Amino acid sequence: MRDQISKYTGKLLADRSACVDGIAFAAQDDVLIAAGAPELAALAGATLSRLNSLALVAARPSLPFADFLIARAGQGEECIVPQDTETRTFLHDIPFLRRKDLAGDAAPILARLLGNRKGVIVEGVGIVAVGAITVEQSFINYSSVFHSTFVKYLQDVLVDGFLLPGEREAFDSFRQEWLRPLSASGLDFVGALSLEKEEILAEIERVGRYTVERGLVDSFFGNISAVAGERIYISQTAASLDELKGCIDPVPADNSSTTGITASSELLAHRKIYEQTGARVILHGHPKFSVVMSMLCDKKAECAIKDCWKDCPHVRELGGTPVVAGEIGAGGLAKRVPPVIGASGSAIVYGHGVFTLGREGFGEAFAAMVDVENFCREEYFRRLGSTNGSKSDC
Amino acid sequence: MYGWTGKLLHVDLTRGICERREIPTEILHAYLGGRGLGVRLMRDYFRLGPFEPDLPLIFAVGPLCGSNSPTAARLSCVSRSPLTGTIYDCSAGGRFAWRLKAAGLDAVFITGKSPQPVFLSIDPARDELHPAQLLWGKGVKETVAALSERGSVTTIGPAGENGVLFANIMMGEGNSIGRGGLGAVMGAKGLKAITAQGDGTTAIADKERFDRARGDVMRLFRASPVIFGELGIAEYGTPALVDLMAQRRMAPTENFRSTFFADSGNYSGPAIRKECGAKKEGCYGCPIQCKKASAAGEPLPEYETVNHFGGLNGISDLHAIVKANSLCNELGLDTISAAATLSAFGEARGRFPDAAEVASLLADIAYRHGQGELLSLGSRRMAELLGKPELSMSVKSLELPAYDPRGAYGMALAYVTSNRGGCHLRAYPISHEILRKPVPTDRFSFSGKARIIKIAEDVNAAVDSLVACKFAFFGATLEEYGELISAVTGVEYGPESLKAIGERIYLTERFYNCANGFSHTHDMLPRRFFEEAGSAGEGIDVPPIDRARFEEELQKYYRIRGLDEDGRFGDRDLLAELP
Ligand code: SF4
Ligand SMILES: [Zn+2]
Ligand SMILES: [Zn+2]
Repeated sequence: MRDQISKYTGKLLADRSACVDGIAFAAQDDVLIAAGAPELAALAGATLSRLNSLALVAARPSLPFADFLIARAGQGEECIVPQDTETRTFLHDIPFLRRKDLAGDAAPILARLLGNRKGVIVEGVGIVAVGAITVEQSFINYSSVFHSTFVKYLQDVLVDGFLLPGEREAFDSFRQEWLRPLSASGLDFVGALSLEKEEILAEIERVGRYTVERGLVDSFFGNISAVAGERIYISQTAASLDELKGCIDPVPADNSSTTGITASSELLAHRKIYEQTGARVILHGHPKFSVVMSMLCDKKAECAIKDCWKDCPHVRELGGTPVVAGEIGAGGLAKRVPPVIGASGSAIVYGHGVFTLGREGFGEAFAAMVDVENFCREEYFRRLGSTNGSKSDC
Repeated sequence: MYGWTGKLLHVDLTRGICERREIPTEILHAYLGGRGLGVRLMRDYFRLGPFEPDLPLIFAVGPLCGSNSPTAARLSCVSRSPLTGTIYDCSAGGRFAWRLKAAGLDAVFITGKSPQPVFLSIDPARDELHPAQLLWGKGVKETVAALSERGSVTTIGPAGENGVLFANIMMGEGNSIGRGGLGAVMGAKGLKAITAQGDGTTAIADKERFDRARGDVMRLFRASPVIFGELGIAEYGTPALVDLMAQRRMAPTENFRSTFFADSGNYSGPAIRKECGAKKEGCYGCPIQCKKASAAGEPLPEYETVNHFGGLNGISDLHAIVKANSLCNELGLDTISAAATLSAFGEARGRFPDAAEVASLLADIAYRHGQGELLSLGSRRMAELLGKPELSMSVKSLELPAYDPRGAYGMALAYVTSNRGGCHLRAYPISHEILRKPVPTDRFSFSGKARIIKIAEDVNAAVDSLVACKFAFFGATLEEYGELISAVTGVEYGPESLKAIGERIYLTERFYNCANGFSHTHDMLPRRFFEEAGSAGEGIDVPPIDRARFEEELQKYYRIRGLDEDGRFGDRDLLAELP
């Protein structure tokens, strides 16, 4: 398990979601081990020893957004309710602990909260997430919490502006230092993908790695496919985009075999997109600004629909990219994305993420995703600039 | 009371008495229902032999039953298995569970032995025993038809009457209480059938919270490729696994001599759909509907059954497999144990039975005619009597299902730690080792598996006590089901508290088994898996399991469970510590 701990410590560093000196893991087999930043490791170990689970991560996020969300929350509130679909489906809500409620030993309180949820936020300490059966799972849950607090904070700032001392400064440094320019330049793609299985698998693996390396998506969320004649090659469910070797299922187009039962939950969406667009490849991920922007809608006030993320029947638009609603899996997005994605080659799903396609290879799909996210990023800051001055700023 | 009815029907067959009694609320809170409640109710009886009259046969539903919680119209049947000698429980879905709850009961506790065959009718107006001489000897379909006006029916077939050690109790709708031979326990009591009807409803403490939790569960079902994916079990039933297990090189073939059957495509999910016009069916009230039936309404076989009547016996004819399945259902035989026993028999005599012989041998088993007498004992006793004990592919005398342990090391460990013998459902490691849910684990590694198996056993013991279906957990988790049960009962439960209940149940079962002589020696796989390789192919190597590494992980498991090196409790008096 030590190798797992170093692997996922490395991943937290690589995706810059946690601070270098603020990461600890605990894991238990017949003995409990804890490793990493000493204080956090002690907390991780003491908490995990109270849980019927295999692993736990306690880490300080590289951005102060989670703490700001707590400080901005109302008096009686005890949890954050993420609005993005993926985290909302799996996390439901994220409980938090305020600094003032942390007198004495935090482990028993944390264990109680983690007894009901996959991750919690502890003010001034960080995100603590549990992995029921693997170390990887604790990393995934940390990533989910990081993702959803990121998205929620950006949404909230757009609506309510900065409310706390130091918030604007921290936000500026996030914008100027943490964020990096997104681009596809310098990456190699096979121009026109052949029908060769080996080439397709290798290209899917490589592109999966690119999406993570370039900071376009978090490693665990998203899926990739390519079609070759009667076969769709698609990443498996619960596969990390940067580790797709051996995790790509060939699925016959006519469903004559069910080996693809382990394929991504979005298989149906991919299949329908191929049928309706004639594309060769599809890329799907959850770039953060696209997720944030997809949930902005001017009609919120007058619209009768409450569960926008699944029920919105409209096709909205962000910089020429259509935005539709729809649940994951056998829910609605497999119906709503295919008809709209063909024209622009990309589509955004409300509160969820982006699908892009390539007619010949992944170069086009990757560039399209970068463009969508860059547009959303710029648009976000443009709107923030134009609304922010008028908001009360304590 | 919300969720529970708080009532148990006590039936004494020796004296012919039926009486409704209260179940203490603390017991319900601490053991939920289903398996947990049944196991707790066995506390004063677990030393009794499987055919001793005073041994209870318990049917218990859970607090979620009757509430429209997804997959929760289920019950557990608990007793001691004549096949394995262990404590035994089996979860089964169907209308019967739902009607039992509607009749105002959380459990039926049946003890004694009737001098004459009887059936029991359960009805809030009157619970009573009736003579059943006319039904004795009848097949399942006929019995169900004869009793159906009294409500939902559960019954044994000839196999249960005749004491076949792997006789099932069959539900009217084709679900079965399988594997451990509880049909023979029911038969030994002279109880042919039970009917249930009523119109009670399950009271829900917090309707709004319930609806929200239900919505969360359904969303996760839709997000799960295994459940509602286009290649998943809602579409193809569990035979969706046939192609996958073939591709992973872990489909037991010819009594586990190999792990790949070239003709398995004949009985894959898509093949069954094409050949039999499979349509969706399923347990009562379940949104998944993973069971399949032919156009004529005949239940079609599950994954385990197609593999075992198929590749395990070297049979590739789908229609012969479907027929064997129907025969077992009609006679009240467990398909996995029946097919595996035939397969061991085939290897012992040097020739696997062909399709026609399978049919005639199944009837012989149910009536204990000719060779059926020997086969009715199950593979372990049969192989010993034939002087070839190593040919029984079983753990604690329970025949192994269709996941070769050489292809999934968590499964290998879970087969031996299972409290009811070689069963895949206790820890269900296939979920992560093969189906990647909730996250994937390396199937050819023991690393971490002892802890993972222990946790999963606890989770599933809780699931079996809710009672919910294991398949729901390809999508949902105890987080959502914890919300459901809290909303229904008004008592707060969450994943950790449910796992703690699961652990309590699991340890109780193990304690009963140890008290009956089980120990480390019984936590062992057949030799074959340590000595012979499986079928390599498609870049996958299936070597024999490393015995030392297996043993090391098993010892870890014991330590995690707080057991000694022999897998026992030492002088710890577990039961005194528990509610
Ligand atoms: S998933 Fe299948 S076995 Fe489980 S309750 Fe539903 S129909 Fe029954
Ligand atoms: Zn997605
Ligand atoms: Zn200010």
